[in-house]
Amino acid sequence: MDETGLASEAVRPGLPPGVDRRGFLRTSAGGAAAVALASLFPSGCASDYPQATLDGVELVALSAKEYAVMRAAAEALLVGVPVPPSRVAARVDRVLAQVGEPVRGDMKLVLGLLEHLTILEGKFRRFTALSPEARRECLLGWGRSRFALQRGAFQAVKAFVYFFAYIDDATRPLTGFPGPWPERFSIPARPVDFGEVV
Amino acid sequence: MIVQGTNYRGDLRDRGDVVVVGTGAGGGTLAAYLAERGWDVVMVERGGFFRAEDFSQREEEAMAAFNGRMGLDATVDNAMFLNYAEAVGGCTVHYWGDSFRTPEDRLELWRKRRGLEWMTPEELGPHWDAIERELGIHIVEERLFNENNRLVRQGCEALGIRGGPVPTARVDCIGCGWTQYGCAYNRKSSQLITTIPRVSKAGGRIYSDARAERIVVEGGRAVGVEGVLVERGTGRARGRFRVDADVVVLAGGALGTAELLLRSLEDPVVGRRLYVNPHYFVFADFGREIDNVTGIPCAYEVHGFRRVRVRDGREVQPGEYEPSEYAGGGYTMLSSHQSPGVTAAMLPEVGQAHTERMRRYRHLGSLMSVIDEENPGRVFLDGGIRKTEFRVRGVDALKAVDYLQNAARIFLAAGAREVWIPDIYGTVVRNEAEVRSRITLRSVQPNVQFCAGSHLLGTAPLGADPEDAFASPTGEAHRVKGLYVADGAAIPTSVSKDPSLTIMGVARWIAAGMHERLGRAGA
Repeated sequence: MDETGLASEAVRPGLPPGVDRRGFLRTSAGGAAAVALASLFPSGCASDYPQATLDGVELVALSAKEYAVMRAAAEALLVGVPVPPSRVAARVDRVLAQVGEPVRGDMKLVLGLLEHLTILEGKFRRFTALSPEARRECLLGWGRSRFALQRGAFQAVKAFVYFFAYIDDATRPLTGFPGPWPERFSIPARPVDFGEVV
Repeated sequence: MIVQGTNYRGDLRDRGDVVVVGTGAGGGTLAAYLAERGWDVVMVERGGFFRAEDFSQREEEAMAAFNGRMGLDATVDNAMFLNYAEAVGGCTVHYWGDSFRTPEDRLELWRKRRGLEWMTPEELGPHWDAIERELGIHIVEERLFNENNRLVRQGCEALGIRGGPVPTARVDCIGCGWTQYGCAYNRKSSQLITTIPRVSKAGGRIYSDARAERIVVEGGRAVGVEGVLVERGTGRARGRFRVDADVVVLAGGALGTAELLLRSLEDPVVGRRLYVNPHYFVFADFGREIDNVTGIPCAYEVHGFRRVRVRDGREVQPGEYEPSEYAGGGYTMLSSHQSPGVTAAMLPEVGQAHTERMRRYRHLGSLMSVIDEENPGRVFLDGGIRKTEFRVRGVDALKAVDYLQNAARIFLAAGAREVWIPDIYGTVVRNEAEVRSRITLRSVQPNVQFCAGSHLLGTAPLGADPEDAFASPTGEAHRVKGLYVADGAAIPTSVSKDPSLTIMGVARWIAAGMHERLGRAGA
């Protein structure tokens, strides 16, 4: 049995490892409660969250509050990465507008929860009002939570921030990644006859 | 003829002997077979039509253009990213070209448990022969091994673990390393450049940007498909389409086919099972620059752990042992390359520690699991939106841990300075003692590390028992005449390997049966 006591659970078919039946219900109930709770949060308006306006970003999917949370998360997660957090948050906004549901709704829910449930990590201010260090602690706390739902929220924010940061050409000196193959434009594609294309 | 729905004005109506929904491994293969035998073939594809010059070798552009839900789709609890394509050519536009015949033990399982008596190497062999010829499938050349592939092989050889070069679907590959973002040189033998042009030149019509919404059923028989033409990039509806046909074939992939069926029919089997072959990633820091950018991502497959081994040493089939008897195996490993955006999303740590890991990007080797899972997930509609559930659970979690440990051992044997398990704990191992003590079940709990699924199968499976299968062994639906399924959805369970050649072989066999039974359907 390992340190989290999962071995006996892991060999029981039909249930996730580490989750007994009561635990599974708790997780589901937690999910429902999170959704219900999120609906009670103030949606926030541009004057409460002026960051998008200050950044000159015209939002298409995120609210001013959600943009501010995503930007604050990017600021906390990206240390020494030569990509401004505003650029990452703006990219996320544009992509969420394009991708639609359920991805957009899930991410908006996650950002709302992150802003208001910092108390789960012993913080008494909103996420956007915390220092970058405190935000990192908060995010890591979510990542290491015993609740899969909270860990899932962390993984979603982390994946979005890092993906939309490291697609940026500005990170190439950091990673040493050469980018598109340099010879790309000098080697012709083999011809393919598709017939008529309209 | 290829008609791009994004350019089309007004509503569209067409009629063929057969309408095929989806243009990937299954749909392309089946459609080309029928079109070249005189069938009037119409294909509809929800994704766009792209050519070599459209493949920019930028990960974000490729994912946005032709990955399903822009590469951001995940299960409802976000524990697993789902990687699939929506484009003319389907998943073969972004696949790695790995082309394995179905292992005989898996065919045996399907014969025994699903009543698929025809699934024998003898029956499928001629179809695989033809596909391999048409796609130029061959054992990958040594020149396409990058250093990561060579190191994985070196580690396996040092430990006596079985592996080998992969059969690959490409012709005169130049090894640019960008295969998964679309081949910019037309060297990877995707359906886009092989079967689709054949359908087009045989008189078929391929409609891209055409999202099927409903199978039209009249008197218990499928008679067509209808849906919307969409603007590429925004998904906005531009017009409606309807295609009538004597036969309707679903080949939109395990998610697309299930979604269309769930929108169209009441069927107790559809979406009840979803196999994904969970992919866990392991990174190895070699302390020096290694080439894992050029060549092909996977030239070498580790297959010594494919079968489950139980405590008395026997190799057993899925479901034929008690989980408490599990001793190891039940997965393969593929050497793997991921570009910086995806790698950054996967790597552990946050803040400065994460940045330091990314500084070592060019030092990293990588392996990816193909877990032969026994506990599937499901696909369903929730408020009209397709959603998925999947958890790595039960004995599959033990397989994942066994894989992580053995992947670490392979890299350590190949000289890695340290091996990273990309979990939230930032697990690092440097020796065997750490492999045993640090890589445990805690690393494979949901949402503790990045996990992905790209071999999506089983949502509308073939089988003799209508209670357990959507379609009969011939591919025709048990409960709707004239409706066939011929893609990943039809494959009954995980294949235990990359399933693309399995899907193609099954689709071609179904096409041959249709042609033999129906002749040219419209005649």
